[in-house]
Amino acid sequence: MATTTQFLSEVRNAIHSQDGDRLAALLRAEPPVDRIYFTMGKELQSQFQRDSKVLETLISKSIPEEDDVPEERGTAWPSFTAFLAEYLAYWRDADFEDLIQTHTRLSGLVTSCASALSHPAYGSIMLMTSIYLSRSIATLTGTLHTRPDLVSILDSRLRSTDEEEKSVVEMTAEIITKIFTTCLNDRSSTRFAPPKGKKTAVYQLANLVLKLLFMSKKTRPAQQIFTQLATLSPPLKYYPASQRVTYLYYLGRFNFVNNHFVRAAAALESSYLQTPAKFTKHRTAILTYLVPSNLLVGRLPTRALLSRPEAAHLAPIFSPLGQAIKLGSFVLLSAALAEHSDFLFSHGLLLVLNTRLRPIIWRSLARRTFQLTWTKDSGPGLMETDGPRRAATLSVADLVTTAAYQQKILEGYVPLPSAQQALSKPHPKPAGINPVYLRAVSKAAMTGELKASSTLVPPAGGRPKKLRPLEGVLNGNMAVTTEHVEMLLAGLVQMGWLRGYMALAQGKFAVSGVKAKNGDAVAAGWPGVWEVVGEKVGVAKGGGNGGGGGFGGFGGAKGGKAKGTSIEVNVPGWIVGEP
Amino acid sequence: MASEKTTTQPADLSAASTVAEEATTSKKTAAPLEEDDEFEDFPVDDWEPEESESQNGPHATEHLWEESWDDDDTSDDFSSQLKEELKKVESSKRR
Repeated sequence: MATTTQFLSEVRNAIHSQDGDRLAALLRAEPPVDRIYFTMGKELQSQFQRDSKVLETLISKSIPEEDDVPEERGTAWPSFTAFLAEYLAYWRDADFEDLIQTHTRLSGLVTSCASALSHPAYGSIMLMTSIYLSRSIATLTGTLHTRPDLVSILDSRLRSTDEEEKSVVEMTAEIITKIFTTCLNDRSSTRFAPPKGKKTAVYQLANLVLKLLFMSKKTRPAQQIFTQLATLSPPLKYYPASQRVTYLYYLGRFNFVNNHFVRAAAALESSYLQTPAKFTKHRTAILTYLVPSNLLVGRLPTRALLSRPEAAHLAPIFSPLGQAIKLGSFVLLSAALAEHSDFLFSHGLLLVLNTRLRPIIWRSLARRTFQLTWTKDSGPGLMETDGPRRAATLSVADLVTTAAYQQKILEGYVPLPSAQQALSKPHPKPAGINPVYLRAVSKAAMTGELKASSTLVPPAGGRPKKLRPLEGVLNGNMAVTTEHVEMLLAGLVQMGWLRGYMALAQGKFAVSGVKAKNGDAVAAGWPGVWEVVGEKVGVAKGGGNGGGGGFGGFGGAKGGKAKGTSIEVNVPGWIVGEP
Repeated sequence: MASEKTTTQPADLSAASTVAEEATTSKKTAAPLEEDDEFEDFPVDDWEPEESESQNGPHATEHLWEESWDDDDTSDDFSSQLKEELKKVESSKRR
């Protein structure tokens, strides 16, 4: 028992001198560790078997709980004694080959640690130990997460005892959240003062919990963390840069998951800007969500950004999406998403980009169609309110045409010239078919194409390609109709992305405010997407957002008033939502 | 499946297909991102603001994003194709 006695004596000294760092250095729980821990484990195994009460008696003798101690001297307390008994039992039964057992015992140890930490007078000495043990269990849970075979065993055990059927990752997050809450409620420092005592650890612990929650893809409990921090934590700027950056990364991802793209962009951008360029991998992880967040609010990554080392693997994924937005091309959108669907899906980006980029692409397509069809001085106008010039209008029928054209391409239609070439090329004659009949069929086909109402003809075999729901312009093979386009345009007008009104009787969208833009109908009718979105959420145009290191609120944008309201217009295939 | 999509486009839809092809080429040379891309712990706890771009204040983001990206040039291939289609549809209505 010499080693155990010596160990308890060291712990007693650390307690008496209130040396939390020393205590944490003693209370190691994961390899690699000094062999004395294994020696101690063997001693305990031979003498104390499985009776924790006997262990507590041993501890109480070595580290007694004293009533009257001088202010500068610490003492043990009941929950500490219980924790230390659990700790000794942990080493007595340690078998690091058995990850499931180790996780179960370590969970018990961390829970016991949380209880000891919560003691109002002496609990602070357990802070460093609590952080260390929280990290240990988070690391072990991360390791287990890569072993589905082991996770399923642990999860099934939890299911048999827990009615809510929480996973092992969620349970671990819950245990660390208890420690986080204890630290956040510490009253050693006031709300906006630099943190003292247990409050110094709140972001470290929050980041551990958030990492686990995002690992398990169950992010709902993260709201509790963000809300608690927003109401109780000292300002984020008082915490070390690594903690700030990590927290802002998860805050951004949480907002992204909840479709608050302006907030997501603000938090992620702040995280990105505070991360030195040498941490390329971290910056890549941030950009993975920062670029999509900005795409969805109408800000495209510049060539300069995509040329950075951290964007090397992301540029081929996001650059075509930016191009699709600029052109108003559903064909390019579909190709870009399909090309990188595995990556986008595994990062939770595929569905959101596929659905929420569409309104921006419709806006660009409407703009391009207007540019191609409207001239100031030709033909009669809808309303002659802008003087002698023709009123600026976009024909719904024209937008149906440009959208239907893209739908046909997606369905495999080919351009008419290539179809003609195909017919003019010599084909091997199928055996058994009369050449006169073949010539007649070819001629009929050619005549039909020349009279066609499109520059595209059906693919070989005549059957359009079968599209999945999100592969079409609207929804799979659904044809683009006037009614759809009217609804889409009305939705864009309601969102403020188009300025004007729908003249349904004339089948047109009429642009407003042309005079105010000195006759520039395109500028009047199609304000910039970011200009509109930024104005709506109160982010000043060109003013930057969250560039500094001082914002730590749940809502995110520094100085911004991100609204929770949304306008939603349900249209086949996609939803228009105010980001 | 992706290659099917790009190859089924008309040959002259170059604006779309060129970018898609570039993406394909780049993908071949880029390492996969799917593995080991979680947000790891930093090797250091703290660093000075001067080591990052945040020291540039509000100007730090100016070169990162295009906020006015609308393209007024309609001479590109995509626009030409749309224009041809609009003409074709218009003329077929007159018949």
